[in-house]
Amino acid sequence: MTEISRRGFLGAVSALVMLPAVSAVPHVESGKRYAMLIDVNKCYGCMACVIACAAENNVPLGSFRTWVEQLVKPDGTRVFVPKQCNHCEDPPCVPPCPTGATYKTADGLVLVNDELCIGCGACVKGCPYGARYMNPVKGVADKCTFCDHRLAAGLLPACVEACPTGARVFGPLHEENELSKTVNSRPVQVLKPHTGAEPQIYYISLPDEVNR
Amino acid sequence: MLEYYFPNEAAEPLLWHPVLFAYTLLVSGADLLILTALAYLSGSLRKAIPLMTMLGIGFFAVVLAGPLADLRSPQRAALIFTRPHIAATAANPGISLIAFQSIAWLVALVLSVIFALLTFSYYSHQASLTSSGFRRTIYQVFSLGVTTSERYGSVEKAAKVVAVLMLPFLTLWGIYPASLFIMQTWNPAWRSWALLPVTYFADTFVVATALFMLVYFLWRYGGLERDVVVPILKIHAAGSLSVAALTGLQMAIWWSWSPGTAEMVSPLIPLMYLVIALLLLSFTLSLVAMRYPATIPVVALVAMAGTFTNKWNIIVNAQLISKTGLAFLEAELEGLWVLETAAPIALGIAVFILLSMIFPLEVREGGK
Repeated sequence: MTEISRRGFLGAVSALVMLPAVSAVPHVESGKRYAMLIDVNKCYGCMACVIACAAENNVPLGSFRTWVEQLVKPDGTRVFVPKQCNHCEDPPCVPPCPTGATYKTADGLVLVNDELCIGCGACVKGCPYGARYMNPVKGVADKCTFCDHRLAAGLLPACVEACPTGARVFGPLHEENELSKTVNSRPVQVLKPHTGAEPQIYYISLPDEVNR
Repeated sequence: MLEYYFPNEAAEPLLWHPVLFAYTLLVSGADLLILTALAYLSGSLRKAIPLMTMLGIGFFAVVLAGPLADLRSPQRAALIFTRPHIAATAANPGISLIAFQSIAWLVALVLSVIFALLTFSYYSHQASLTSSGFRRTIYQVFSLGVTTSERYGSVEKAAKVVAVLMLPFLTLWGIYPASLFIMQTWNPAWRSWALLPVTYFADTFVVATALFMLVYFLWRYGGLERDVVVPILKIHAAGSLSVAALTGLQMAIWWSWSPGTAEMVSPLIPLMYLVIALLLLSFTLSLVAMRYPATIPVVALVAMAGTFTNKWNIIVNAQLISKTGLAFLEAELEGLWVLETAAPIALGIAVFILLSMIFPLEVREGGK
């Protein structure tokens, strides 16, 4: 009996010591800095990206990893602005996390380790873009991951693949590609630049009215 | 307002439930311990120290029960202590105020318990002489080997050192969670509430002194001592006046910033007026109570009404302002939220009662 108790005790202590190992990051890093470019002129509000994202990532009803905002200009024209997590260079949602469950990868992705998330909601409150929500099924914070599971398989994020007009362009920012060429050659905007978060979702023709 | 908000906000407008409201009231335990430490170091309010210590430890010990009840995965709550995000790394830049304050809570609580044991050591020895059985064993342990008044003299010096060490950690708690709201959230009302930490600090002193007066009145009804009541009333009056003034000043700051800011915070204004009115009334009644100590329950209850209103406005109403600053969301409180909110406070009271059964609420000079 004594022997079993001692083993049990040692097991519990070992489990405590090994706790950091539980946090092993599931994401495979490639060393790239991923970003996205959204051309507002090309979006006509079909919501294919929203549906593709929800289906791909099992997003609970009422919550959104990506959504499309609609703006009606004084002349009656409609502008559609897709929004999501900005995978910021200096993400304001990461410091508030008390356990380090929210983290930034070398690829620039801001992710959540479900096994470490205690569901305090600090990151949800810390995000200036309203891009995070509490997943009622998992009891953890949830958000866009740039479909990192698809990236690992050499695929594009679901929203990018589903966009019928190519309004969303995805890729590594510091490599020769359409995204980096456009970001470096054309005037692009980001959401809420005053936060200092350095968002990595770049927009073409972003109306000022939605930048709140 | 344009009623422009983010869809995820609409899904859960009140992310931090009213249980946080109870949490902020329990923070007053930290302020009671600050008063205890200051009184002990300055040699004033000696008679009030035991009661303040017991009440302070009782409330401060359970302060984390509030946020624990608000966690969506409370089974992993211990990770805050085993994996605290208190050092910046490439993957986890910055420092989490929640983690930092949790560690500060642990340190402050341990120091407060050590302080209590040191100050009650000689009493425990004396109590062990007149008690028997398990109670006698407890008192013998708590006496820490202090069996003479001479030894108690040296213990008092150690208690002073502990009192000094307690102060920075407890002060950090006095301005938390206001510092969390203003520094690590993007709620526009909280971020623009420049006076929130200092208001919060003063506000918790108001709660702390009101709580003390209420318990003191219930305990010593008919035998209220002016040398205990008057200094506490002075602190209470100063706190009440400060919160009223700071609240008014914050309103003036918002109005002077821009019409947009004034419109954004407009849902908060009616309760801010009520807070000012109640705390000015509490201030006035404090002055009256200095002459007529029997009226202190009225002072305490009016002050608590003011601070409860203030906390509700800061935590619940301000949280309902959208991150766009252009909408005031609606939230329906569901379930047994009143009981959930009251439970942590009840737990604090239970700990206080338990402590008061072991230790006295009044210790005379020389640790007797």
